[in-house]
Amino acid sequence: MNKVLVLGSLLLMFLVALAGAATDPESVEGKCLTCHKEKSPGLYKQWYASEHARHNVTCMDCHQAERGDADAYDHEGGLIATLVTPKDCGRCHEKEMLEVDASHHSTAGQILESNDAYLAHAAGGFQAAIMGCESCHGSKVLIDENMPNKLDKTTWPNSGIGRLNPDGSKGSCNACHTRHAFDKAQARRPESCSKCHLGPDHPQKEVYEESKHGNAYYTHIDDMNLDADRWVVGEDYYEAPTCATCHMSATNKQTITHDVGDRLSWNLRAPVSKKMKDWEAKREAMEDVCLACHGQTFVDGHYYQLDGLVHLYNEKFAKPAKAIIGKVKELGLLENPAAFSNTIEWEYWELWHHEGRRARHGAAMMGPDYTWWHGFYDIAHNFYFKFLPEARHYDNPEVNAMVDEVLADPMHSWLGRPTGDIKADIESGKMPDDYRKLFNME
Amino acid sequence: MTGRFTNLLRGLSAHWLGKLGVALVTSSFLLFIFLEILRLLGLLNNAYAGLVTYMTLPLLFVLGLIMIPLGWWLTLKRTGLSSRQLLERRFPARELEANIYGSGVVGTILLLTVLNLIFLGGGSARMLHFMDGAEFCGTACHSVMNPEWVTYQASPHANVDCVECHVGEGAGALINAKLNGLWQVVSATFDLYERPIPTPVHQLRPARETCEKCHWPEKFYGNRLKVIPHFVADESNTATYSTLNLKVGSGSGESGAIHWHVAEENAVRYASVDDEREEMIWVEWLQEDGNWHRYENRRRLGEVSGHEDARVLDCVDCHNRATHIYEDPEAGLDKRFAAGELDRDLPWLKREALGAILSGWSSEEAAQQGVANALTGFYRAEYPELAISKMASIDRAVESLQGMVARNLHPGMNITWGTYKSHLGHKADSGCFRCHNENMVDEAGQAIRYDCTLCHSILAQDSSEPFRYLMPLDEKDPEREQAEYLRREFLESGGGE
Repeated sequence: MNKVLVLGSLLLMFLVALAGAATDPESVEGKCLTCHKEKSPGLYKQWYASEHARHNVTCMDCHQAERGDADAYDHEGGLIATLVTPKDCGRCHEKEMLEVDASHHSTAGQILESNDAYLAHAAGGFQAAIMGCESCHGSKVLIDENMPNKLDKTTWPNSGIGRLNPDGSKGSCNACHTRHAFDKAQARRPESCSKCHLGPDHPQKEVYEESKHGNAYYTHIDDMNLDADRWVVGEDYYEAPTCATCHMSATNKQTITHDVGDRLSWNLRAPVSKKMKDWEAKREAMEDVCLACHGQTFVDGHYYQLDGLVHLYNEKFAKPAKAIIGKVKELGLLENPAAFSNTIEWEYWELWHHEGRRARHGAAMMGPDYTWWHGFYDIAHNFYFKFLPEARHYDNPEVNAMVDEVLADPMHSWLGRPTGDIKADIESGKMPDDYRKLFNME
Repeated sequence: MTGRFTNLLRGLSAHWLGKLGVALVTSSFLLFIFLEILRLLGLLNNAYAGLVTYMTLPLLFVLGLIMIPLGWWLTLKRTGLSSRQLLERRFPARELEANIYGSGVVGTILLLTVLNLIFLGGGSARMLHFMDGAEFCGTACHSVMNPEWVTYQASPHANVDCVECHVGEGAGALINAKLNGLWQVVSATFDLYERPIPTPVHQLRPARETCEKCHWPEKFYGNRLKVIPHFVADESNTATYSTLNLKVGSGSGESGAIHWHVAEENAVRYASVDDEREEMIWVEWLQEDGNWHRYENRRRLGEVSGHEDARVLDCVDCHNRATHIYEDPEAGLDKRFAAGELDRDLPWLKREALGAILSGWSSEEAAQQGVANALTGFYRAEYPELAISKMASIDRAVESLQGMVARNLHPGMNITWGTYKSHLGHKADSGCFRCHNENMVDEAGQAIRYDCTLCHSILAQDSSEPFRYLMPLDEKDPEREQAEYLRREFLESGGGE
């Protein structure tokens, strides 16, 4: 009898505990929503209208924390974290989390060793680095026990795509999926990417807007079916591609990928462009997207022209410039010791990091003006009238010999010839012929 | 009998000043009696009449009385006669003959003096009474006081005289108020006052003496159910509801509710930035052991920590606009929609009305005309048929908006929407949230409680029905968890009883 009583009461206690455990988080959720509907109505309304709300994903599903998490804090009866990291999102969106984690995007926060970060910190300053570089690249989020949400004010707010989170994860899903609506349409629009992909060093947004792709998109924006659950190019929409279409979204052969590098065959960021690892597969993946609207011959033609142009940039300007500045440094000719404290370093930097990227990105995404006027025109002007004169001013025989050798190349020798002769060579096809080999380089 | 008076008057008018004095005294006295009779008969009810009857006439009367002896004295000086000689010259001998009551002249003067004193006593009492009336405060300095006068008349305290709250009791307070008034006359005359008049009014009488005459803390108990309708600025002026069960009780300790703050046994004091009571620096709460438990504003740490600027919290720290109530533009429109003054069947009325009243009108007249033009213009241009078929509704809406604008906008005094903020509730993080917020923490880092259900249960929050959260909600409804939480809180806090 006693055993039955003990067992019975134990069972009862267990059931009560279970009931308590089952109802408690819910009451916290209800509390969150109640206050925040009043205190931050915009945030609440974004969530209310979202797919998350429709599927009963509420505050704690993303903001819950565990005792011991560095950024966990008690807030009105709940243990929460302000920061929602890919780990949190990955509880439901695991495939996406893993793809992002494997992508180049997730490494964007590791820029502290790069030249960009050095330049921003040294030539700019701490604040410029925080609100400039780190806003896109992501900060290393630090803990400050004195802050209400335990996040250090110099490192948060931040939703950079490669943010280094206290839980060890990299990235921030809301870099693209703007909170708290997490709207598919918003992420699919080019504006989503152009928070960062614009400007003098990588004007993808401007190139897209210049291109026929962008042109068609903005004309037919209402027919893009941007809200659809399934969004297969050529089937659910067909008027134009957005950034997401080519770099991420599904085709009738491929599934969607959150690794934005999956379809990139060239590295067009580097001082000298190189093909990516497994570039053939990646190009095939991109061509598959193109083929939703274009024929294979058309696509082949585009890549024939693009490959030639990238080689032109590499061979005519990038490699010679890289070699010359390498020699200047090797010979110890720089007047000032710090990186970027000499004019030639700035000239070289702009040659590849700004002008060279503009030219290559412009060509890759069919932006003629960026290919030429913002691209090769600027490269040539810099190379001939800033960079080379700057190299010559050291008056070093070895450097001078290198410059002479570069200028003796048929691609540069026009500088010393009469205009009439050059025009004749252009007309006769002799000059274009000098460049033809670039189309077929490996 | 009359002969004696005419003799006296003639005798006193030796000098032109005396003559004038006699004329002033007599005419102001007669006029006073005349106007008082008119008032008593109900023929004179102009607010400004009091200024003549009770202020100007008694003043002239006294002035006249002063002029009479002055004239007598001037005559003495001019003629070089003694008083006796002058008396003999001005009055018949028989009136100067001494009898048991003194001479006839003295008797007459004595009689008149008594009459004067009675009249002056009565007159001053009437004058003070008049100056204690709201009309005097509201209309004597019209341009300065009009905003307060207009809002006062539309308030729940419209039948309580200004002085009940603004002037204390006793001679000291009276003298203080009159001296203050004198300065106000000067500053109004020479345009020395600030526009708008700055708040808070620091020398207001303590609330314990004024408010609590009618509203004493023991009267606050239980809950008060309040349905606040709100109309969305869409085409159909969609109605939504926020329903609060306000815990207005004054009990102490944990059982205390909103009026806990003013319960006899509780005390709260605070220091605010620039003593403006808008942003708190610290707040203290008296413990049973006599110590004060302090909460400091984390955002204002170390700014002022002394007790010298402390204010003990009373009614007006929250009910700072109990009488001179300036409306919030949205809430004011919502109220008029709910009252039927604004017809919900007029498309986009909320949006258009809001736009009209929020325009930066430069004068009262421009606002009146502008509001009318905006509304009628919109319907004539966008809904020409409606403008005719619903003309009465539109006219009523215009009238309602004009009333609202007249009450709340006073460009002459630089008073516009939001100039005088109300601390009731917590609109835009003011009011309750001045102390009840996450940054007001004690030494242990514990914040003053600020959860929504501390002061009210919530039965609807911008919802489609007034008791939305008490109704069964669909499984897919995003508000399901919120409703469940609030329903339970309502029942557990005894709100359902």
